[in-house]
Amino acid sequence: MSIIEVKNVRKSFGNNLVLSDISFNVEKGQVVCLIGPSGSGKSTMLRCLNLLEDIDEGEIIVLSQDINKISDINSYREKVGMVFQQFNLFNNMNVLDNCVLAQMKVLKKERKEAEMIALEHLDNVGMKDFAYAYPSTLSGGQKQRVAIARALCMNPEIMLFDEPTSALDPEMVGEVLNVIKDLANKHMTMVVVTHEMGFARDVADKVIFMDDGLVLEEGKPQQIFNNPQNERTKQFLSRVLQADL
Amino acid sequence: MSLSKCFEILTKYFPSFLLGIRTTLIVALTGTLIGLLIGLLVGGIRAIKLDKTASKTNKIIKAVIDGILKIYIEVFRGTPMMVQAVFIYYLVYTNIVRWDKMFAAIFVISINTGAYMAEIIRSGIQAVDPGQNEAARSLGLSAMQTMMNIVLPQAIRNAFPAIGNELIVNIKDSSVLMIISITELMFQSNSIAGTTYRFTETYFVTAMIYLFMTSISSVILNAVEKKINHTRTSLPQSDTSIESIVIAKKGADHVNN
Repeated sequence: MSIIEVKNVRKSFGNNLVLSDISFNVEKGQVVCLIGPSGSGKSTMLRCLNLLEDIDEGEIIVLSQDINKISDINSYREKVGMVFQQFNLFNNMNVLDNCVLAQMKVLKKERKEAEMIALEHLDNVGMKDFAYAYPSTLSGGQKQRVAIARALCMNPEIMLFDEPTSALDPEMVGEVLNVIKDLANKHMTMVVVTHEMGFARDVADKVIFMDDGLVLEEGKPQQIFNNPQNERTKQFLSRVLQADL
Repeated sequence: MSLSKCFEILTKYFPSFLLGIRTTLIVALTGTLIGLLIGLLVGGIRAIKLDKTASKTNKIIKAVIDGILKIYIEVFRGTPMMVQAVFIYYLVYTNIVRWDKMFAAIFVISINTGAYMAEIIRSGIQAVDPGQNEAARSLGLSAMQTMMNIVLPQAIRNAFPAIGNELIVNIKDSSVLMIISITELMFQSNSIAGTTYRFTETYFVTAMIYLFMTSISSVILNAVEKKINHTRTSLPQSDTSIESIVIAKKGADHVNN
């Protein structure tokens, strides 16, 4: 059974229709990449999955519940980790406290236990030695790795990535993508909005191409990248892949 | 005006000036502090945005509270503190209780400062990157937890220069509270000038004392500002070092394997 089911979702900001009719499924353990031109609604779709935006019509079923009908948003969000384009580390706390705060306040863990979990995840992303550093002293790549560790500390069942490498210097993209690839190898269910076509091709189980608030094409990466059916997909990919070279 | 006469007045009436300084500092400091607390509360409440899913009743309650707070801010920023002081002092004195003047003075300066602080805190909150809020909420923290742990600490840091400014304003503007005859510096100066008939010299001394107090405050505020730019979080700290935790973890893994 699908862990995420998006059914006929429609969403607009004022008069601006951002998602006209979106449906897709994500199976447990799958990595799904949302690709498409800027303004196609990918990020908005992802934000709807974490209730940072609410939808106008349709249904989103995650972990067998209609998320727009649940009363306790906070306990839902604790199961769905989110990583942002701008990292959004808490500026008033060091790296360790960034990872410890929600464990203590939301999961009600003891400080010692929370620190242990935090350091394990920081170690996995290679940031253990920076535990007492403040976010302002870190590079973009380091911040993003901490942000991923912070989300993983909550032991989420699903991870959402909103263009995790778009705000990074090119040389730092690799270190962050490697962390995400590791997660994919551990069979974390992930939805990734990305412009990194190489990453989508290598890591995704399913690629969804969106444009103008619609899913125009979805399928296995080989199928989308090597043999796209939709004209708009072909056009987009030829431009993006050309730029990649 | 002669400087030697100024010095003479300062030394002769030093105890009176000192009493004035003491009262001024007490009123200004407590007024700023209580005002800050009022500001945190009012500014914090005004900055809270309810979830879109919040019930209709909650939305109405929030709107009503917002309206009342807005009126409070407008009234106390829009009328002179001198008028507020006499009005509130006599209103309570004749209708409710024969209250202490000093208490009345601190009450008035606190709610007056609170109105300004509320706006300072609110703008400090608005200057915090919305991404901080989103990240906190995405981890499952409630709106209240996010406000207390993430947003307010950063807002206070953002707003600190403006908060400090309020203290300096209060040291000077508490002089209008002489209207309800508390023994602050301006009230004392009036008495001294009335006794000596040396108006120029007395008020020159007064001005110098105010300048001295505000300058010292500026120095202290600057030092504090530097300090809080390096402060840590309010979370309780453990004494565990990273290394000891890592070693303990490795030990546990070893045993488990």
